[in-house]
Amino acid sequence: MKPWRQVGLLAKREFLERARSKPFIITMTLLAVAILAIGPAVNLLSGGEGKATKIGLIGMEPPGIEQELHAQAVLFDMVIEVDRFPTRSGAENALAEGEVAVVLVDGSEIVFHTESSSQLTALIHGAVDTTVKTEALSELGLSEGEIAAVVEPIPMEVTALEEQNVQDEAKRGAAFAGAILLYISIIMFGQFVAMGTVEEKQNRVVEVILSRVRPWQILVGKVVGIGVLGLLQLAIFAGAAYISAQLADLPDIDVAAIGLPIIASVFFWFILGYTFYAFLYAAVGSTVSRQEDLQGAIMIPIVLIMPGYLLAIFAAENPEAVLPTVASWLPPWAPFVMPVRMAAGVAQPWEIAVAIVGTVLGAIALVWIGARVYSGALLRTGGKVKLREAWRAAAE
Amino acid sequence: MLELVNVSKRFGDVVALDGAGFVVESGRILGFLGPNGAGKTTAMRVVFGLIRPESGTVTWNGGPVGPAERLRFGYMPEERGLYPKMKVHDQLVHFSRLSGLSRAEANDAVDHWLGVLGLADRGGGKLDDLSHGNQQRAQLAAALAPNPDLLILDEPFAGLDPIGVESLAETLRELAAGGVTIVFSSHQLDLVEDVCQDVAIINEGRVVLSGRLGDIKNHSKKRRLTIDVDGEPWIPEVPGVEVVVGPGLSHCIVDDDAPVADLLAAANAAGTVNRFVFEPPRLTDLFREAVGS
Repeated sequence: MKPWRQVGLLAKREFLERARSKPFIITMTLLAVAILAIGPAVNLLSGGEGKATKIGLIGMEPPGIEQELHAQAVLFDMVIEVDRFPTRSGAENALAEGEVAVVLVDGSEIVFHTESSSQLTALIHGAVDTTVKTEALSELGLSEGEIAAVVEPIPMEVTALEEQNVQDEAKRGAAFAGAILLYISIIMFGQFVAMGTVEEKQNRVVEVILSRVRPWQILVGKVVGIGVLGLLQLAIFAGAAYISAQLADLPDIDVAAIGLPIIASVFFWFILGYTFYAFLYAAVGSTVSRQEDLQGAIMIPIVLIMPGYLLAIFAAENPEAVLPTVASWLPPWAPFVMPVRMAAGVAQPWEIAVAIVGTVLGAIALVWIGARVYSGALLRTGGKVKLREAWRAAAE
Repeated sequence: MLELVNVSKRFGDVVALDGAGFVVESGRILGFLGPNGAGKTTAMRVVFGLIRPESGTVTWNGGPVGPAERLRFGYMPEERGLYPKMKVHDQLVHFSRLSGLSRAEANDAVDHWLGVLGLADRGGGKLDDLSHGNQQRAQLAAALAPNPDLLILDEPFAGLDPIGVESLAETLRELAAGGVTIVFSSHQLDLVEDVCQDVAIINEGRVVLSGRLGDIKNHSKKRRLTIDVDGEPWIPEVPGVEVVVGPGLSHCIVDDDAPVADLLAAANAAGTVNRFVFEPPRLTDLFREAVGS
């Protein structure tokens, strides 16, 4: 019996027992459905862009105003509809109900409900101005062509020196979502590792296992089995998020070009970050004998993870600030901060290399330290084992 | 053949094993006895490499014991434990496969032992749903299913009802007859006497008495003397005879050359003798003598 074959059996049990557990399946399904629903929900809430803006008219109308409003709307890249109201109170009600965005009274007053829109004001003002001037000019006997030449808006070329890049915005948002997913996944599956360790100690099954395998095999089997489950959940969530983004009406954003690299990066950093923290979780989990005592013990990984998460959020807005930059190089925080800085396109290749190598070395060190503490603490039941005692016990 | 030689282990200031050693020959059942805290569990854990002794050796059939050998050992720890939420059959198969059985072998072995232990219809349920006694049987099945060559059971009879005790005793006898070497600990000395052929008594980390039970009894210089006079236990006081009496005993221990005729005469003088038995010591007597209580 090869030792790695046993590790495989242990990993398989960890994976299957958890993957089959009802609470896990239910929670994961609910979350996946919730993520899937975000895209369509955003469409509903935004009320669909490109939908016609309604303009109400009452009282005296300048001749040809409706036609001119439509003509002006084209200049503003808008679609409008015109509604006529017999009374001012009717129009005001429609404003209050949100049925119309704005009301033009007697061709001389523009009424909004709460906030005025300068865009709509300019649009209506332009339309009224044009119709009034057209009428005046035609009374002066100018031909249609001459009138058009006077009132036609002078075309202007509009350029922005720096185009606001919707893609970059979306990329940042996706990286931010990825950071949250990474944080939740590492905390959740790290906690599973710690809980599984305590559970085996608490119901004493660990001695039955230890009569067949070495402590490091249990440890590695547990971390691998739960890690594979983590990857599966990540794949489901990332898939749901990707489909959700496709379902959302985002005409200016290339979901595949932004989403796929972010998903790949979340997977990559999950494997590194999870490995780093899972062995730490296992080590601290092995020092207690009851689930009730676990909350205190896992403060150690939590205290390490929290700054990484907060810096990742900070880095989403300020990827080049000093703190997130330095944090993105260092093993405990690199898995959270570096993917955000990479998505923002500010991480240099050498920085990424430092982060990866550092995290891998850190993870190797934690595997070694974690395995030793775990071995030393596994058969010590009763109270809480001090980390130092567990470390020494492993040498005995 | 399992052999422990001169094994010592201390935990801080506490000496758990102090040069302990014993031998179990293949196909024999050894009762491993001792008061609480004498070092029984520590010695068993040493065999499985769960505790590394400071000195001493453990050998199996003359060779060192490593991971490969241990896969041929079955262990039922004192601290009972299986996965409470996992199906009984599934976890027994899991443990058997960890011991090196193939999937098919593990399934067959688990089915077999669940049947033998009366749990055939419980395999699909969670361990949590079993009664205390049945959980105990499932625990035993975890040790037995890999078909071990050496079986080490820490208090296997604790918590079993009399029928369970008898059927486990029978199972152990059958296994031993089939060549399995068995070591078990117990505080139920009458039961041990009934089941095992060899004993090792450990006290304060040292094995104070070990060997074949029959030989030990025969070589003992003590005899058990049970006398009932007028329907009550009666303890003689005869000059020149040292009488050993323990708390709660209705018999006494005398030297094997005690003057039986004088003792009987003294009993007769005290009243009507209903019972007078002069016999080799029982295991209980040997145990009391060995651990000095």
